[in-house]
Amino acid sequence: MKNAVSGIGLAPDAAMVTFPIDMFLPGSDLASLKERRREFYDGLTRWKSQLAQAAGSAKMLAVEGATYEDALVKANNLLLANLWGDGLPLWPATKERVDWILRGSALPRTHVLGKFPPRGGVTTIETCAIALAMAGGRPEYLPVLVAAVDACLESEGFDQLQATSGGPFPAVIVNGPIAKQIRLNSGFGLLGPDPQRPAGASIGRALRLLQQNVGGALPGVGTMAIFGGMRYTNAVFAEDEEGLPPGWQPHAAERHGYPPGTNSVSVVFASGVANVRRRGAKKETPEEDALNGMWRMADFMRTPNLAALAGWEKGTPGIMMLAPVVARRMAELGWTQRSIREFLWEHSKIPMAQMRRAGAPAWIEIDANPVTRSSIKLDPWPICSKPDNIVLIVAGGSHPTHSYWLQAHSPSVTGRVIRVPESFERLLADADRDLGCGEDVCRI
Amino acid sequence: MIKLEFHDPSGALEVTQPHAPRLASLEGRRIGFVSNEQWQAYRMLPMLKEMLEQDFPGVAVLPVDAFPQGNALIGTEETAALVKKSGVDAVIVGNAA
Repeated sequence: MKNAVSGIGLAPDAAMVTFPIDMFLPGSDLASLKERRREFYDGLTRWKSQLAQAAGSAKMLAVEGATYEDALVKANNLLLANLWGDGLPLWPATKERVDWILRGSALPRTHVLGKFPPRGGVTTIETCAIALAMAGGRPEYLPVLVAAVDACLESEGFDQLQATSGGPFPAVIVNGPIAKQIRLNSGFGLLGPDPQRPAGASIGRALRLLQQNVGGALPGVGTMAIFGGMRYTNAVFAEDEEGLPPGWQPHAAERHGYPPGTNSVSVVFASGVANVRRRGAKKETPEEDALNGMWRMADFMRTPNLAALAGWEKGTPGIMMLAPVVARRMAELGWTQRSIREFLWEHSKIPMAQMRRAGAPAWIEIDANPVTRSSIKLDPWPICSKPDNIVLIVAGGSHPTHSYWLQAHSPSVTGRVIRVPESFERLLADADRDLGCGEDVCRI
Repeated sequence: MIKLEFHDPSGALEVTQPHAPRLASLEGRRIGFVSNEQWQAYRMLPMLKEMLEQDFPGVAVLPVDAFPQGNALIGTEETAALVKKSGVDAVIVGNAA
């Protein structure tokens, strides 16, 4: 709550009376409300903020150690003690390291991107560079991080997404040549660690550190994410644009209208992932294999994911990832991006009887969006207002067996063009020197 | 000794507006509720109304439904204008989670 208070510009030390969650559940015992009523009354009358003005400002910290390793351990301990870590080793954001990261910015270090909710920490280019330095990042990653942060801050309902119990996490889809240039994975294992394409881990971890340290999304305090999946690195990956079948458009062109070849990010808030075994097991014809796989994908989507109501009209119910080899085979059979979306939309509709059985209509009835509320008349009920809301991405290893469904809690899908500094080519050359191989990464 | 200096990663906070002034006492005051209808508000807020009325002579607590209710409505400018127009001395907003 302190975060929410400071996030709207008030001093964070507001009067509070807090209770265990049990009191807020159906049928609860409300006796403690009566017992502690004087605390409410004091908050309404006697309480006074002790923080009339600046509640905090960025500053330098210092530790001393007998050796560099000793100092590094102490720095990590200090970061954890201040609740600024994620449990994995961090690079302390020294002036030297932050200045190095800032070589990747096209904007001045003091440029303000906004206030990171719910806490409302002022987020500058330097703030991003500090997080990226801590996350083990490099200068050439900074343009992607800055665009992702900008997109997050502009995303509809971002304050609620940061704090909600559902625990949505940013999935940052990168389009354009920058993905390969900075070694961002679009192929095998793109959502996991990859020593040959390490950019996504650092960028996503830096974004997560910003969410926690600047935005105040601390587990159980600033974010009520019950399970908190993907909280170390979020999901930062590239679409495999070279794997797009002829005539298919990159995601950023389809969703945001950016010309193909534009460096951009597109931020979706995902709330889970499901693997769909798409490929047939016996003697299916190519047509049967494609159609069976489409049905299996639709079957996974046909669930009352009530968190997705927030994006029913304009956001997305999720990201369906097709491996490039699957996209190519389907295109050869006549499937298009449009026809795939239309099939998935049509066949993921949920019979209203099933919705009623799950108590889902009550959530539709109280939704803030009148368009969403009006959808209660539809039977079967579509999981989003139109097929175009479904995000379809061609990415992953070139292997036909699985698709991947990232269900969403995403009121919007926000795009941003990535701005790189004039010296970007130099940064890429430095990366080639430091990491030992070029953008067409190489060892396997 | 090796000294390691590094940035505080938490970013600056700006206080841009004061909290509402507190009332000297709740006695004789007019209090309203703005409810999002969540988290047992339908039980707790009437209980709070009853307690305020018991504990403070002359207090007037408006009914829970005196203003628009629900997450979709309580944050709107229209609701804020209705609250102001009502002339209440204070409002209690609930229930967050």
